[in-house]
Amino acid sequence: MGFLNLSKKGIAIALSAQMVLATQAVTMAQAEMLGTDQAISKYTALANRNVLMDEIKRDDVQAEIVALGVDPAEAEARLAALSDAEIATMLMQMENDSAGADILGTLFTVFVILLVTDLLCFTRFFNFTRCVR
Amino acid sequence: MRALAPLCKRLVCLLALCWLAACAQPFEPDERLSFDAPTRANVTGVPLIQQEDFFCGPASIAMVMQWAGSEITQQDVAALAFNPGAGGTYLADMIGSSRRLGQLAVQINDFDQLLAEVTAGHPVIVFQNLGLGVFPVWHYGVVTGYDLAKDEVYLNSGQLDQMVMAFAVFERTWRRGDYWGLVVLPPDQLPASVSEADILSAAAALERVGQHQAAATLYETGAAKWPDNWLWQFGLGNARYAMGDLRGARRALRRARALDPSIPEVRANLAFVNSELAG
Repeated sequence: MGFLNLSKKGIAIALSAQMVLATQAVTMAQAEMLGTDQAISKYTALANRNVLMDEIKRDDVQAEIVALGVDPAEAEARLAALSDAEIATMLMQMENDSAGADILGTLFTVFVILLVTDLLCFTRFFNFTRCVR
Repeated sequence: MRALAPLCKRLVCLLALCWLAACAQPFEPDERLSFDAPTRANVTGVPLIQQEDFFCGPASIAMVMQWAGSEITQQDVAALAFNPGAGGTYLADMIGSSRRLGQLAVQINDFDQLLAEVTAGHPVIVFQNLGLGVFPVWHYGVVTGYDLAKDEVYLNSGQLDQMVMAFAVFERTWRRGDYWGLVVLPPDQLPASVSEADILSAAAALERVGQHQAAATLYETGAAKWPDNWLWQFGLGNARYAMGDLRGARRALRRARALDPSIPEVRANLAFVNSELAG
């Protein structure tokens, strides 16, 4: 019982401390400007992922994925599981394999479908894809 | 590490060239290029600088920067780039010295990009092995033009006369340098064949080496081409802040916030600048 009381008290202290800290964190001025470099790596990685995600959500691509017998939601989940570095590597491979042509087009669609089939272990086009079975 | 050019002397280069020419396969533009490159293109006004011993790297950068209007010499560049112990200039130092001199420097890696840049009127520094794998003769030169019909690539290659190479020979020497190419431009011009993300990174690199004015110019140039991306305004804000231009920084960060109100980094920096202006 004493133990229970103590831990309740402990939790209360921890919670109130956290609340104080949280309010402080919001009002406290940051020590310096946030760098451009970090923002670029964070948000361009995000953009890469969004480009692929948008592609997978296009109607004709969805139709293609369904025709392959794949649940589109599963395809999206698999894509979401890739790391930023893997997505960047893959986009680079797409560009190399298309010999530097502008990949945003039919070719890109083909690549994205290959990526989906890779992730589902039907194909092994990209070097790094982890086939999940 | 093959990223070194320990030898860039003229005689050896020419000997190696004769050797290579004898066994070269023809270059097939249709197979090697994925875009419809013009038959010929030339960049005018790139000076021919006679390189000093082992200074092919610094001389290449000096040629490109003089073409853009600078008065820099190969000795100036060598002070920032050349590695006396290695007797050459590392690839990373080619990029780094260009940036420390306030230039936009981005790497390219294939024929598509090379020809696209030359067609757009930009000279390109290329890293070649004029020898063989077992007997490398590393060299930097500047591609200033090409003619597919005549099967010729034109280079300012550290000599007083222009170097003319058959595409096949050039291809081999460049392949041995892993198709490493470098576009060096003043920050108010953009390369034709490089992605927005790579140019953004090159601009951030200018900030890192303390070239804040050049970085700011490049961010403005990028913002004019890609007006919807808040990162250009964010970088501009940061570069202006670093130069002590708080009001300019605030204007840029406000534009960034207007483009995407959801970015915490933008709001944080804007609040930071505002507090400094108030304080």
